[in-house]
Amino acid sequence: MSAPTPPDSLPAHLELKAVGLLVLVASLIIGFVLYVMVARGVFESTQQLVLVSDDSEGVIVGMDLTFSGFPIGRVRRIELATDGKARMVVDVPSKDAHWLRSSSIFTMERGLVGDTRIRAYSGVLTDPPLPANAERTLLRGDTAAEIPRLVASARELLENLDNMTSSQSSLNTSLSHLKTVTERLSGRYGALTTVLGSEANAQKIITTLDRTNALLAKTDQRIYGANGVMDSTQAAIGQLDALLSDTRASLKKVDAVLEQAQAVGANARIASTDLGMLRAEIESSLRRIGQLTHEINRKWPFARETEIKLP
Amino acid sequence: MTSLVASWWFMLHFGAVVLVMALSPWCLNRANLASTARHINTSTWQVLPWFTALSALLSLVLIRIVVVTALSYGLSQYALQMVVRVLVLELIPLSAALFIALRAGLGANGIATPTLGSAPTPFKPSPMQAFGDVIDQHLLRTELMPRVLADAFSVLTLAVVSSGVTLVLTYLTLYGLSPWGLPDFTRTVGQVFDLAISLGFVLKIFLFSLAVAVVPTAASLEVMSQPATIKPGAVRLFLVLLLIEAASLAIKYI
Repeated sequence: MSAPTPPDSLPAHLELKAVGLLVLVASLIIGFVLYVMVARGVFESTQQLVLVSDDSEGVIVGMDLTFSGFPIGRVRRIELATDGKARMVVDVPSKDAHWLRSSSIFTMERGLVGDTRIRAYSGVLTDPPLPANAERTLLRGDTAAEIPRLVASARELLENLDNMTSSQSSLNTSLSHLKTVTERLSGRYGALTTVLGSEANAQKIITTLDRTNALLAKTDQRIYGANGVMDSTQAAIGQLDALLSDTRASLKKVDAVLEQAQAVGANARIASTDLGMLRAEIESSLRRIGQLTHEINRKWPFARETEIKLP
Repeated sequence: MTSLVASWWFMLHFGAVVLVMALSPWCLNRANLASTARHINTSTWQVLPWFTALSALLSLVLIRIVVVTALSYGLSQYALQMVVRVLVLELIPLSAALFIALRAGLGANGIATPTLGSAPTPFKPSPMQAFGDVIDQHLLRTELMPRVLADAFSVLTLAVVSSGVTLVLTYLTLYGLSPWGLPDFTRTVGQVFDLAISLGFVLKIFLFSLAVAVVPTAASLEVMSQPATIKPGAVRLFLVLLLIEAASLAIKYI
C-alpha cells in the first residue's frame, strides 16, 4: 500500500490566500513590534535625570514622570546608592526636557488607592533648563505613612473626648457649676448672689449699702449743711487771710528796723576807725611820756645806782 | 505509568520532529507547500472572519464592562491597562487556541480518515522504540507536518488579528474617533508591553500554537483505532493549555 501522491500543482486561489494570510500576520507582528518600540520610546532622543529619595517603595521601572498631568519622562532604572539612598534614573525625551528647569521640584506621592506618582513642578519657566544627568532630591508625600500617626492622634483625641464626656469629667463639673451660676443669675438677687454665693450674703450687702446711703446723707448734712464743717472752714479761712495781712505789715516794719540797724552798724564801723587813730595818738603820747620820765630819772640826783659791783 | 510517560515522550518527540521538518528546506517542496496551503485555507482562512467577529463582539462587551466599572469607581486611568492585560495578553490567545483546538485539532482527526487512501497501523508507543519505526515518513511529510504547521499558524493568526482588532476597539471605546487620545493610548500600551511581558506573550502564543497542533495529532496517532467517546488528546490538550497559561501568569505576576 502506498499513499497517493498529492497533486503537485496548487490551485492559485489557495496559494494566494495562504500567502495573503502570511503577509497579513507578518505585517501585523512587525507593525505591532514597531508600535510597541515607539510606545516605549526606543527611537526617542532622551536626556537622563537622577532622582534621589530615601525610599523607593512603590516606584517601578517604566513609571511615568508627569508635569501638569502629562507624562514627560519614564523611570528607566532604580538602584541603591552607596549612601543607602534610592537613585531613580529617569529618561526624559529631549522634546519634553524644556519643561524641567533648574528650579524644578520633584515629588513622589503615594495615595491610598492607586500607584505611586512622580510629579515635576516648574514654578519659574524662565529659569535655566535642567542640565542633562542632573541629580535632584525627590520629596515624598506619603499618605499611607501618615495613617498610623493619624490613627494615634485620633485615638488620643477620642480618649480625651471620652474623658471630657464622662460623668466625673471636668467638663461635666464645669457645666454643673455653670448651671448653678445661671440658676443664681436668674434668682432673686441675680449676679450678687452669684458673686457672694448665697442670698443671705447678698441681703447683707444690700443692707450695708442702705446703711452706707444713710451715712452719706448724714455726712452731707454735717459737712455741707447749715453751720456745717464747710461753713466753719470758710470762716477760718477768712480769719487766716486777715492774719496773713497783719503778718505782712509786721514784716514790713521789721524790714525797716533792720535797715536802721544796718545804718547803725555802718556808723559804729566808722567810730571804730576813729578810735584806732585816737589809740595810736595816745600810745604815742604815752611813749613820749615814758621817754621823758626815763630822761628825768637818769638826770635826777637820786638816781638809783643801777651798776652792780662785784666784790 | 510507563505507558503514560511513553505517551508524553512520543508527543514531545513528534512535535520536535515536525518542527525540525518545518525548518528543513528539503521538506518544504512544492507538494508539501501545497498541502500546507490547503490546510491553512481550511483551518485559518475559513474561520478567521467568524472568529474575528465573535472575538470582537465579546471583546467589546468586556471592554465596556471594564471601562464602565473603572469609571464608576474613579479608576478610569487603569481601565486601558486592565483591558490590554486581560484581553490582549490573556483571553484572546487562550480563546484562539481553544477555538482551533475544538475546530481543527480535535475535530479533524483526519489521520484515521483515509483521505489519502491509506491509514497508518495502530501502535503502542515505547520510549525505546525509534520514531521512524512507528510513523510512516511519507505520511509525516505530506500530511502530518502540513496539518501541524497549518494549525499552529491558525492559532497565531487568530490571536494576532483578534488582538489587533481588540486594541482598535479599546481605543474607539475609550476615545471615540478622536486622534488626540493616541499619545496616551500608545504610552499605556508601551507601559504594559515591557520586555518581559512581550517575550512572555510571544512565547505563550508559540507554545499555544504548538500544543494545539501537536497534542491532538500525536494523540490521534496513538489511539486512532480505539473507539472513544471523547476526541483523542482532548484532556491532555486542555491540561497542556492550562499549564502554559498558569505558567505564563505565574511568571508575569508572581
